[in-house]
Amino acid sequence: MVNVPVERHRLSNGLRVTLSRDPATPIVGVNLWYAVGSRNERPGRTGFAHLFEHMMFQGSANVPKNRHFELIESAGGSLNASTWFDRTNYYDTVPSHQLELALWLESDRMGWMIPAMTEEKLRNQQEVVKNERKERYDNQPYGDWDERIQALVFPPSHPYHHSVIGSMEDIGAATLEDVVQFSRTFYIPNNAVLTLVGDFEPEKALGLVERHFGEIPAGAPIPPLPGVLDIPPVIGATVRDEVVDNVPLPRVYMGARVPPFTSDGFQAAQVAATVLGSGKASRLYRSLVREKAIAKDVLAYVFPLEVGASLLLLWVTGYPGEEPERLEQALLEEVEGLAAVDQGELDRAVAMTETHLLREIQRVGERADLLSMFDQIFDDPGRLNSEVERVRGVTRSQVEAFSSEFLGPDNRALLTYVPGGAS
Amino acid sequence: MSAPVPISPDRSAAPLPGPVRPFEFPPVVSSSLPNGIGVRVARMSRFPLVTVSVVLDAAEALLPDSSAGLAVLTGQALEGGSRRLSGPELAEALEGIGTGLAVHTGWDSTTISLTCLAERMEEAVALLAEDLLQPAFPPEEVGRFRNQRLAAIRQRRMDPGSLADDAAAYFFFADHVPYQRPLAGSASSVERMGPAEVQAFARAHYRPKGAGLVVAGDVEVSEVGDLARSYFGDWEGAPEPVNGFESVPRFRERRVLVVDRPGSVQSEIRIGQVGAPRSTPHFFPLQIFNTILGGAFTSRLMLNLREEQGFTYGVRSRFAFRRSAGPFRISTAVATEVTAPAVSHALAEVQGLVEEGPTQREVERARDFIAGVFPLHLETTGQVAARIGELLVYDLPDDFFAFYRDRIRSISPQDVLVAGREMLRPGDMVVVVVGEADAIRGPLEDLGLGPVEVVSPEILP
Repeated sequence: MVNVPVERHRLSNGLRVTLSRDPATPIVGVNLWYAVGSRNERPGRTGFAHLFEHMMFQGSANVPKNRHFELIESAGGSLNASTWFDRTNYYDTVPSHQLELALWLESDRMGWMIPAMTEEKLRNQQEVVKNERKERYDNQPYGDWDERIQALVFPPSHPYHHSVIGSMEDIGAATLEDVVQFSRTFYIPNNAVLTLVGDFEPEKALGLVERHFGEIPAGAPIPPLPGVLDIPPVIGATVRDEVVDNVPLPRVYMGARVPPFTSDGFQAAQVAATVLGSGKASRLYRSLVREKAIAKDVLAYVFPLEVGASLLLLWVTGYPGEEPERLEQALLEEVEGLAAVDQGELDRAVAMTETHLLREIQRVGERADLLSMFDQIFDDPGRLNSEVERVRGVTRSQVEAFSSEFLGPDNRALLTYVPGGAS
Repeated sequence: MSAPVPISPDRSAAPLPGPVRPFEFPPVVSSSLPNGIGVRVARMSRFPLVTVSVVLDAAEALLPDSSAGLAVLTGQALEGGSRRLSGPELAEALEGIGTGLAVHTGWDSTTISLTCLAERMEEAVALLAEDLLQPAFPPEEVGRFRNQRLAAIRQRRMDPGSLADDAAAYFFFADHVPYQRPLAGSASSVERMGPAEVQAFARAHYRPKGAGLVVAGDVEVSEVGDLARSYFGDWEGAPEPVNGFESVPRFRERRVLVVDRPGSVQSEIRIGQVGAPRSTPHFFPLQIFNTILGGAFTSRLMLNLREEQGFTYGVRSRFAFRRSAGPFRISTAVATEVTAPAVSHALAEVQGLVEEGPTQREVERARDFIAGVFPLHLETTGQVAARIGELLVYDLPDDFFAFYRDRIRSISPQDVLVAGREMLRPGDMVVVVVGEADAIRGPLEDLGLGPVEVVSPEILP
């Protein structure tokens, strides 16, 4: 059912380009994935990839500060960017007659960002990002869960040990020279993929891409990731962290190492997470929320990560006064129960995955983002079209094997938030 | 730094746009059944998907304070299944065909919707109709939903952003206006609710007359007519009539209120007042007004508080258009130490825009933005179904969205000035700050906006 056209090109500077035409609506999604994220950060510069993403909106040689947003918005487009462990993506959706504007803006900051950088802009965005950290982490109940889970699941020498937002101290320590070096090292055509989805003539669109990106010189090969990348497939023990804090309800998180996104075992992990915690027929919902009625909500999700391992995340939020030990025990019973699954559960997981994916790709921006992801990580944007089949191919015995290998006591990071503390 | 890469001459100016390609809102085909349910179909065939929504006149705003949250709870309790299917059986049946029910209850309506593969539509509609027309509301399940709601209310109270929203609503609206309370009710109203109340609410308000069945996606119009008759044709009755209310402010002059939240490292700021109803003749000018003030990334508020001052990660403003006048509200979160200057800058921006009006160029940009992003928000079957649902809830003509962009493009700077002056009174705007009272009270007093009252979250409903 998923059948998205894919046309691939590569510019001489190494930029990979995917075109996927869809004239249904006169809009185009423009998506750039740079293979750089928090994994590339050096000690003392945590949070820098994300801070740099902010600096990318501060103008470039031909685009004054704020002009990028102003031009896209008054063209009737929307835009944003996000930074994650393995990548930073920039996305614009514009009316199709404004495609060239988006390409000009994206290419200007890929090729000519450095001349526009100033101390003043950096100081301003450091303040903005510190406020972002305060808003999302420090002033938010459970706000620091991801920092704590990452620190438990990945060793200090691994690049996933620290959070994407980074520490306040490191955010404040960044210099203009860091910005320049980061741009030269990572924001180069041979470290990026560009995807266009929507209403355009492919030949003409490729010409525009050539015109705007073609003269940006290729950069040096990307330096190896810092730290020790090779980690055992499991944590090796049950590790714990407990926080007594000003939170409304007790909550237990469980993190586990699971096979990397790029490995064959990843789909089984995805299906296992769906069976455990996606939807109201899922095991955690049925058992903890409905039958035992000890949890207000549950969640299960697998982060698709590339380096060494991916991360399975589960959480259970209890009612006021619930014992965290009881929540944890009930959670672990369901985790262990995955030693046996039935075909009906797998069928539901496939059906939900298919509808979910189709719903997502209705938007040209989402479609472009997924094509970029498959291009950047698998060198195969067309993999989007076979994604549901891969999930359909997962067998009961694969899920059961996954659960015996990855869901045991030797691979659990348990983080508990207990209400209490200040006020 | 080494020499920058040479800049080719043709890079220096933004490229010109190409020819504009037309966009049209999918045509809406209307009909109705003898029981009074309106049927609206919009065909979108790009993907083999369909969204089906039932829009009901089962709104939070029609409830007294003592039952606040009952519409929300009843909507959630549909998850308890039908007389034939238990909750888990219903969930398995829906998820087995790759879908699930999403229930959204607001001030003006309840919408039950699902999105599924087009080839599964009939099975999905059959399940939705069974659940809605023959709900079971089993007592143990209703008790659980109530406990979930109560826990969610507790979470809202401890989340600074939600607490600020609730505090702003309370201080903006007079006591008899439902909008002064949290949408999903308070602990004291919800803890009294049980299966009898839920059952009675559904019986009174889940009725076909005035309700709507909206279908958007890869379907034939005739197919929908058949489905509507088969699954909703026998449904009967009209919702209980309810009285409207006048949305009036709690205070007639500026107030500054600090909701004390010790230990906060940020202040959540809300500035605003009673805004405008959905039916306001100024609807389109107010969209432009708000885009310029705080409705886009390049709004006056964002450029000032974020890009110049670095006070915040983000700031926005919004009119909540409801049947009666909802709030107009500026929202931001800032570091504790810059709370007072942030309030002062935000007030100056809204005051400046109301008093002096926007520039021609700002209005042009805002018009282009709103008209341009319009199709970006109509890509999915769910988005289109939601827009059509609004037509039903607010009694708008079927071709409202067909002319939406023309209306936006016709607005002048003068229209915006008039609308802003008529609907907003910046001098009376209420300032609500959730944060560390000890640290922010003094600086807020020094702004000279009037006395600063410190209150505890306990006083809120």
